[in-house]
Amino acid sequence: MSDAPAAKELTETVRPESLGTITDDGPRSARQTRRPKSRIMKSKTREAIAAYVFLIPWILGMILLTLGPMLYSLYLSFTQYDLLSDPRWVGLQNYTRMFTADPRYLKSVAVTLVYVAISVPLLLIVSMLLALLLNRNMKFLTGYRALFYLPSLMGASVAIAALWRLVFGAQGLVNQALAIFGIEHGSWVGNPDDALTTIITLTLWVFGSTMIIFLAGLRQIPKELHEAATMDGAGAIRRFISVTIPLMTPLIFFNTLMGTIHAFQSFTGAYVVSGGTGGPADSTLFYTLYLYQRGFAQLDMGYASAMAWVLLAVLAAFSAFFFWTARFWVHYGDER
Amino acid sequence: MTTTTPTRPAARTIYPTKKVTNPVLTAVIRHALIICFLVIMLYPVIWMVAASFKPENEIFNGLGLFASRFTLENYASGWSAGSLNFSRYFMNSFLVTVLSIAGNLVACSITAYAFARLEFPFKKFLFALLLGTMLLPSQVTMVPQYILFNQLEWINTYLPLVVPHWFGVDAFFIFLMVQFIRTLPRELDESARIDGCGHFRIFSRIILPLAMPAIGTTAMFTFINTWNDFLGPLLYLNRTELWTVPLGLSAFLDATSESAFGPLFAMSVLSLAPIVGFFIVSQRLLLEGVATTGLK
Amino acid sequence: MKLQRATFLAGATAAALLLSACGGGTGANSGPAADVPGADGKGEVKGDIAAAWWGGTSRIELTNKVIDMFIAENPGVTVDRQSADFAKYFDKLNVQAASKDLPCVVQLQGRQINDYTKRNVLLPLDPMVESGAIDIADIPKAVVDAGRGTDGKLYFLPYGAAYDAVGVNTTLAEQAGVGTLSEGYDWPEFISYLSKAQEKMPDGVNASNNGGGRPNYFIGWTQANGKKLFNDEGKLGFEKSDLTEYWKMWEDLRQKGVTVTPQQSSEEPTAPDQSYLAHGQVMSDTLPGNAFTPASKTLSGAAPGQALTTLPYPSGPSGSGNALYPSGFAVSANCQNIPTAAAFINYFTNDLEAGKTFASDNGAATNTKVLDAQIADPSMSATKKHELETYKKIVSEDPPTIVFPAGYQSVFENSFKRAYEEVAFGRMSVDQAADKFFDEANAKLGQ
Repeated sequence: MSDAPAAKELTETVRPESLGTITDDGPRSARQTRRPKSRIMKSKTREAIAAYVFLIPWILGMILLTLGPMLYSLYLSFTQYDLLSDPRWVGLQNYTRMFTADPRYLKSVAVTLVYVAISVPLLLIVSMLLALLLNRNMKFLTGYRALFYLPSLMGASVAIAALWRLVFGAQGLVNQALAIFGIEHGSWVGNPDDALTTIITLTLWVFGSTMIIFLAGLRQIPKELHEAATMDGAGAIRRFISVTIPLMTPLIFFNTLMGTIHAFQSFTGAYVVSGGTGGPADSTLFYTLYLYQRGFAQLDMGYASAMAWVLLAVLAAFSAFFFWTARFWVHYGDER
Repeated sequence: MTTTTPTRPAARTIYPTKKVTNPVLTAVIRHALIICFLVIMLYPVIWMVAASFKPENEIFNGLGLFASRFTLENYASGWSAGSLNFSRYFMNSFLVTVLSIAGNLVACSITAYAFARLEFPFKKFLFALLLGTMLLPSQVTMVPQYILFNQLEWINTYLPLVVPHWFGVDAFFIFLMVQFIRTLPRELDESARIDGCGHFRIFSRIILPLAMPAIGTTAMFTFINTWNDFLGPLLYLNRTELWTVPLGLSAFLDATSESAFGPLFAMSVLSLAPIVGFFIVSQRLLLEGVATTGLK
Repeated sequence: MKLQRATFLAGATAAALLLSACGGGTGANSGPAADVPGADGKGEVKGDIAAAWWGGTSRIELTNKVIDMFIAENPGVTVDRQSADFAKYFDKLNVQAASKDLPCVVQLQGRQINDYTKRNVLLPLDPMVESGAIDIADIPKAVVDAGRGTDGKLYFLPYGAAYDAVGVNTTLAEQAGVGTLSEGYDWPEFISYLSKAQEKMPDGVNASNNGGGRPNYFIGWTQANGKKLFNDEGKLGFEKSDLTEYWKMWEDLRQKGVTVTPQQSSEEPTAPDQSYLAHGQVMSDTLPGNAFTPASKTLSGAAPGQALTTLPYPSGPSGSGNALYPSGFAVSANCQNIPTAAAFINYFTNDLEAGKTFASDNGAATNTKVLDAQIADPSMSATKKHELETYKKIVSEDPPTIVFPAGYQSVFENSFKRAYEEVAFGRMSVDQAADKFFDEANAKLGQ
């Protein structure tokens, strides 16, 4: 925090009105062309060198710790590998089996797609609303924030499985609450038609991480912008749409992308609630849960690796598309 | 309970067209709603805290918060259960967590600065690679990673849990910081550059202080992830004196025999305390701090 | 300097990873050579070994005590101790196996042993038995045989024998006026006993849990009725009609309300000390014999005044339906210190003091002298004594030894439960589910 004065001093040179305008009015290249050519070259090289110096740890980690295991798993996806003996090359067999001879695989795809389609939008909306609520000035704010965040702090702690049954079991809290209104319902975790609903609820229960990212973004929006908009006669909803949302788009983008990736890879909730089985009757057989069953319980790591790379391909395609859409709706502070 | 802040009444007086409501009443209603919602949401957690004070064989008797008697024996027996020793596990967890947070903050922030602010060859490719590492489910890289760390003879040490953080393997945080830094107006570093600041100075003097919310978020998330991590310690730590809190907690469960739910809940409650504490401190410093010292 | 070294090391291992991957199937791992020095377990008991087992706090405690005693008797030995809960234990084990880094001494059961024997990651113990490094004289033959792989060699030495029993809540049974089952009762008797009891069960309590999805109940039923579980290739040895008969028996009970609903079944916690039986919500259920003590303890808090007992499984034309599920220690093929590993296994299984200390925490002690000493021990709790005596009775009747093929635990048990779930939830007919189960199980078993 000792550097704060320096930052403050610099921020004062920023024209406040420019912060609010989000139109792309000054491409950087235009500004750069004003400089002499040789200096551009020099500063460009200097910048590249500086960049790679900053990137040294990450590049090392990438090559030594991340890429090796990733590529090895790609290789394994073309083999039959039971962990205990050496892998045996089988070509595309794992990939073809997946789509032609494995109903449980297709089931896991269906379960995961339903889960992603429902949980991601809900999670984003709920966490944005709560972030807005907790960004206001009111008493006990710190306490409220901590309390709303509490479930997310628990992680996948072993206690959650027990707690979850308590809430959604046949004799659980939810049913006791429903009974007050005269509604009778069986177990929510034990019924194949409802089990996925309870896992989506579990996801929403731990909305805290997404909310914190939104909240941190909201804190960063200069108050002056809201005040300026208020002066111009904008109401709360208008201010939200024309000031808050545009400034939040980088984080909305981030949370949507990461939320989707995480939802596709979702494992812990189903693992904890179903005891690793994906039950009842495969109704919570998430993609990675099935992958884990194949890889570790059934000792079919080649097949599991193939599943992982199919997922990677799907997510990569989705991310590429999503990044492409970003140019139309995401506004960065460095684009001005 | 007057909760209105100095800025709000000012805004209201300018726009009298808005419905004038009793601020005390709205505040009371707002707080009541929040508390109602919180109680519903947190009931399982409240129940867990209550359960940790129940005699062990009455824990699962119902949804109520109270048992036949109040007891502290779960805490006493859980804290040092036979060869388990939670004072040790808390120390170990702290060590691993602090080292991981430090690593993540350093490695992720410098990487993010490069991606967010600097131009260099292969930038697009490297950024795609960065994102690509997040797309593969970790379950399949677990085995090759274990083989790697085993070859390095890192089993039974904290190195496999800590070292990767110093090399920025958590692409999530790098991406998060990139997104944060890119929301900062570029005029800031442009003007600093004109003043003759080098990249490291721009990074440390301008970007870092302004990206405090991202730093705080990263620290918080790393704390949670590391503190709750179970699989890493399970694979890499054998000796009980090296165990972290989640390993100690899971030892209370035995699917084949008898589980100790009382001590489990008691120690789970205790293991939550550091994270909650860290959250309260860090949000004071970071979420509140930035609003006053940052872009104002 | 340091960084360079680390870089080099990591680079080298990354290369090694890829190399070993590409050279797959060169026979580098062609299995344990029986002629490696010390394969007979003879030699100096000294140096490091790693030992791994599953279990929670109490077992960690007891195992640690035994290991400490072993170290005290054998100066110069160190033991790297590894433990985790059952499912996690196997996750870790398989990751270690992939790295050819299994602990020297590995705890296993017949239910998984052939996953490992098939892939040659365990050493046969027969040479160690022949050399006298491991003593099996005081262990009943039927129990020792449970440690054999599909190839007939001994791969783990059972130290604790679990069996499955029928747990009955005697308080509820008496209230219902059905009393206790007579000695040697068979399945039809058992079914009518349950049906009769249901008429007088309190609200919300069922006479039985649903056994349709329980592999161990089914195994008991096949043994009593003289069906073969597995054929020589490790595929299913019984007929589809056997399975449908078994499932129809439970479906009938379920539809009459004698058992719990399928929702309740899938919601039930898997640990036996948290089961419906342990909470007084059902009158009877299959219960691992060694879960009797913890289940009784839970019941004393959940429904004070109620009591449990365990009975052997129902009999049939082919005799008792009881099978043994022993646990024991195996030696991994990558073990570098076989003499110490063999000495440890022998000590853990046969030493009287070790046995007294461990107190049959994971199934009844298989060594008869150790078992008798425990039964005679006045400090042993009454419930524990009941567990041991029931075991003694079962083992005296020469129970069948089941050799489980590779894939049993991960495929058979899992598919069996799921297939029956489809029936109970009304999503499949009994015949369809049996077809599904046969397809899934036969595709993977024995491989």
